[in-house]
Amino acid sequence: MKESKVLTRRVGKYKPSDLKGYEALGGLQALRRALAMGPESVIEEIKRSGLTGRGGAGFPTALKWASAAQEKQQPKYFICNADEGELGTFKDKVLLDGDPWAVLEGILIAAYAIGAEQAYIYIKGEYEKTAKLWDKLANEAQIAGLLGEGILGSKFSVSLHVVRGRGPYIAGEEFALIASLEARRPMSRLKPPYPTEEGLLGKPTVVNNVETIANVPVILAGGAEEYRQLGVEDEPGTRLFSLSGDVKKPAVYELEIGSGTLQELISELGQGTKNGRPIKAVQPGGGTSALLGRDSLGCKLTAQAISQAGSSIGTAGVIVYQEGKSAVDIVKGLLEFYGAESCGRCAPCRIGVVRMKEIVDTLSRGEGTADDLAQLREIGKASVAVATCGMGQAFPLPVLSALELFPEDFEAAVQKNPQ
Amino acid sequence: MAKFKMQTYQNLVKDSGGATKENLFSLLGKVQDKFGCVPREVVRDLAAKTRVAEARIYGALTSYGDFKIELEPES
Repeated sequence: MKESKVLTRRVGKYKPSDLKGYEALGGLQALRRALAMGPESVIEEIKRSGLTGRGGAGFPTALKWASAAQEKQQPKYFICNADEGELGTFKDKVLLDGDPWAVLEGILIAAYAIGAEQAYIYIKGEYEKTAKLWDKLANEAQIAGLLGEGILGSKFSVSLHVVRGRGPYIAGEEFALIASLEARRPMSRLKPPYPTEEGLLGKPTVVNNVETIANVPVILAGGAEEYRQLGVEDEPGTRLFSLSGDVKKPAVYELEIGSGTLQELISELGQGTKNGRPIKAVQPGGGTSALLGRDSLGCKLTAQAISQAGSSIGTAGVIVYQEGKSAVDIVKGLLEFYGAESCGRCAPCRIGVVRMKEIVDTLSRGEGTADDLAQLREIGKASVAVATCGMGQAFPLPVLSALELFPEDFEAAVQKNPQ
Repeated sequence: MAKFKMQTYQNLVKDSGGATKENLFSLLGKVQDKFGCVPREVVRDLAAKTRVAEARIYGALTSYGDFKIELEPES
């Protein structure tokens, strides 16, 4: 299995502060082409490329843009979501630090396409150095005429707010992120209306993940047809896989979509499990994706194949668990994180995540009962079915899948009970 | 961490091109980073400038782990 460096091809090749270095490596061609094409053709080109969101939900990018572009309300906003909070996901940081000008170029093209004059980048609070780098970058871009009035001699004007997040995981969810930018508590809400209709300060807003946006200059520079040469028919392009957990070489690997299997990613690029033990389970799409057992390791790395196997590609954060750990402890670790992160808006998540965490704690102490297992299933299924946002709908999935895949681990936890 | 001075804060607002609903969150962050907390008088002033209720800003500040409304006592 080989990496295909497309989005990461410039990482480490120029100093992040060096705009000239970026231009020498082919930078800004896409923006120039976009400004010459006009907004509608830009959206058309992205549509033909088949680009989908890389932040977890996988929504077609061009549809979002077109829906915001057709809104009559002004002003419109573009937000680049760099609040990379999902467990086991650290790919956006590679782009933000390693090829920031490409991300900025993508932001400018997106803002131009939807008609936004104000753009935001919301950077995860823990990425303090990254936020400082972006503050500097925004200043330099202003001086170079890439931000402000009349960009590169065109009639297009846009300003960029570099905003650092302030802690909560849920602020990476698009409505919570918008609430946060409005200086409100970061809480999700029901949709519709979608952000493209009623987003930041009630105005049409597009929220795109960093990796999604980094694809935009690639598509515009080479054209949609060339882009579609990468990946598979239904899922063109590459993806950044964040590989972590019990592997020898955890890192971010850029792969052409569908170019290999989970097993190959783990054993070839990741050089196998830490102690050479067999793999017990894998989460292919970040901490809220369902566990896959050993039988599914031959699964191709496409959204479709992973979803057929019973999980989801999500943020492409692949977390590996080797034999030797009980599934109860695996889900305990996950619930320890999510148990503190519900925004509190809806009951299934607010109460459910805490109750599930309590039950799993009880089980891991060997004090559980068969009733506890039934409750764990019931609460989990309820939250998946009726929670407001992606977090509530997804955090129970690893628990539910663990109950299916490793019932013996849970039964062992119950049997330890002296009663 | 700088000691809080109303003048320093006012300069910060000026350097950010004034206080608006659109940059309120980012301003609160800058105040937090500069002074280690967002003091009451700042909340009051920003509320007046942005026409956002003081209570709402207070509510937001106290819900994020990284914001403080007063300096933590020195230990």
